[in-house]
Amino acid sequence: MTTRTQNRFAHTYTLLRKALPDEPGWLSELRDEAFENFKALGLPTVKHEEWRWTNLKRIADTDFVPAELAEVSEAQLAKYLIEDADEIRLVFVNGHFADKLSKLPTIPDGLVIEPISRVLGSDEGLQVKLGRFAEPTQPFTALNTALFTDGAYIRAGNSLTIQTPIHVLYVSTDSDAPAVSSPRTLVLAGESSELRVIESFVGHGNSPRLVNSVTEIVAKGNAAVRHVKLLRESDGTSHLGWTELNVERDANVSSHSINLDAGLARNDVHAVLAAEGANCSLNGLVLGRDRQHFDNHIVVDHVRPHGTSSQLYRAVVDDKSRSVFAGKVIVRQGAHGTDAQQQNNNLLLSNDAKVDTKPQLEIYTDDVKCSHGATSGQLNPEAIFFLRCRGLDETHARNLLTYAFANNVIEHIKIDPVRLALEKLLTERFAGLLGGSP
Amino acid sequence: MTEPLLEIKDLHVSVEGTEILHGVNLTVNAGEVHAIMGTNGSGKSTLTKVIAGHPDYEVTKGDVLYNGKSILEDEPEDRACAGIFLAFQYPVEVPGVSNMYFLRSALNAQRKSRGEAELSGAEFLDLVKEKAKLVDIDQGLLNRSVNEGFSGGEKKRNEIFQLAVLAPTLAILDETDSGLDIDALKTVASGVNSMRDPERAFLLVTHYQRLLNYIEPDRVHVLLDGRIAKSGGKELALQLEDKGYAWIEEEAATA
Ligand SMILES: Nc1ncnc2c1ncn2[C@@H]1O[C@H](COP(=O)(O)OP(=O)(O)OP(=O)(O)O)[C@@H](O)[C@H]1O
Ligand SMILES: [Mg+2]
Repeated sequence: MTTRTQNRFAHTYTLLRKALPDEPGWLSELRDEAFENFKALGLPTVKHEEWRWTNLKRIADTDFVPAELAEVSEAQLAKYLIEDADEIRLVFVNGHFADKLSKLPTIPDGLVIEPISRVLGSDEGLQVKLGRFAEPTQPFTALNTALFTDGAYIRAGNSLTIQTPIHVLYVSTDSDAPAVSSPRTLVLAGESSELRVIESFVGHGNSPRLVNSVTEIVAKGNAAVRHVKLLRESDGTSHLGWTELNVERDANVSSHSINLDAGLARNDVHAVLAAEGANCSLNGLVLGRDRQHFDNHIVVDHVRPHGTSSQLYRAVVDDKSRSVFAGKVIVRQGAHGTDAQQQNNNLLLSNDAKVDTKPQLEIYTDDVKCSHGATSGQLNPEAIFFLRCRGLDETHARNLLTYAFANNVIEHIKIDPVRLALEKLLTERFAGLLGGSP
Repeated sequence: MTEPLLEIKDLHVSVEGTEILHGVNLTVNAGEVHAIMGTNGSGKSTLTKVIAGHPDYEVTKGDVLYNGKSILEDEPEDRACAGIFLAFQYPVEVPGVSNMYFLRSALNAQRKSRGEAELSGAEFLDLVKEKAKLVDIDQGLLNRSVNEGFSGGEKKRNEIFQLAVLAPTLAILDETDSGLDIDALKTVASGVNSMRDPERAFLLVTHYQRLLNYIEPDRVHVLLDGRIAKSGGKELALQLEDKGYAWIEEEAATA
């Protein structure tokens, strides 16, 4: 079966290479190498420890064609925009740059915001950095490198502070045959620079598709990057996303993975605290319903001393939905003074919903502060009774408590318009709440 | 003759199959203040929770009438909207929900059920300011999550604050005075006293006679082992303070 699957993607790969004849040689080489890697690795099955709770049968059993650019109107896009966070936006439809939907105002010197396709030939940084961070030994990062058509390239020069959020939207639309798109984001934050980046993955229509994305974020010394990945895929979508964070000396990176919708989604976050005093804060929220399946796999690798990391992942699962959380903290030899915290809290709203959680610590040095905790449960019946005793009906009481549970993650997002938009989304999701935030 | 506001008739209540109340009778008229005292575990909180409609408590016999109608089939929120308020012995923490949002939702839910217009944000703020002064609650607490990280005294004050804002017809206070210092106790008492009204009744559960120095009850009842063992005027509370509960137990045994 493995062989059959690889042959399928081999066909996809051939089709894709034919569609992209004029690429620079270095990229073709990178792709060939990546595809060889993918073939050698094969698709993971539930027999792999890291995939035991997420079955990829629906991907293994499908033939995918490369996704093609399609028409998306401003009006269709509108509901995925974020008020006050769309002054700068790059929009991709099915993995291809959508010029007309994008907005690139004059930007300061030292800042580059471009679709990768436009700078392939000209930007040397890109050639050096692309695909150098995300682990090529992962089948899906390799597949993305082989198959990506376009994506966002964001680079801030040293000491440049960009407070305006940059919104990258990857839209996928219906197609006749199941299609694969491979969004690719590369963010390079120079020394002491500051960037805010939002990636939205949104699905239009419900035809089966695969979105296999890779996001690489590099924060040089003392840089600060705030990143939010917003998942609003359709139920027909399998989303596989790898986020690679490379955090250098005294840099601060926060990355929030907000899973609002998707048929199946697997998010891998791999954070390497590569130099002394590097900090990262990784948070996630899952709101599962129907038969949705979400899987968040986090690895934080403390390589050097005095790094701090925190993880707060929360899932609210309803109906027959399922959430998986696996968080691993590695503290390498010599990474003394490390402070690593991890929290995973799960709220089960139905008896048929399911959560699996696996915290892991691998510590190879003394003098570290590590803590982790996981909880799973239902809404507190005493709190429900209390709210009802004050006049709220049962549905309202439950919604309010669920909102509060989920909002605890949203609160940590330090890009104001995104936080506000998400609070509003939560309010809508848990209808019957007053305007304004509880 | 006017109808009693609250009438409890031969009430038997079980939790998880164990009977806790073994036939409680109690009548409270509008305008009155009743105190309920009794030893630990005698069933005082159980009685208050049954009146409020807690789903874990099963009424196996008897009835609770409010304004002449049985409320046993009513949901807790219906009882709240009808004007029944319970201040909890152990106030619940609700992380992530601000006091202000919660209270405004509650008040508006109650107003809506009575066919009254919902209060706007500004109107609500005015009301809150007035009532916060009345119960001397720190404005800072109002913007925090309900009871989260509050001290014991702050939690009790917050219950009284909710009482003042929601202005119920029947207010049941379960040991709101326990653990309060004298200043806090006086504030709670003056809050209650300022709300005394011919249309409103209070049911005060307490362990300590001290509260009744500040809120003068019309009747005092002693709940022992799931039954009202003795009722009397406010002097009964003083006797209890002096002599404890043993003599009532003996009286009840020989009766
Ligand atoms: N939810 C419950 N589950 C099991 N037992 C309960 C529950 N609630 C009350 N009980 C039991 O019922 C009895 C009466 O409890 P209750 O809390 O009503 O007493 P109380 O008079 O309020 O006591 P205190 O003065 O300590 O507050 C006790 O034995 C208690 O353990
Ligand atoms: Mg009690």
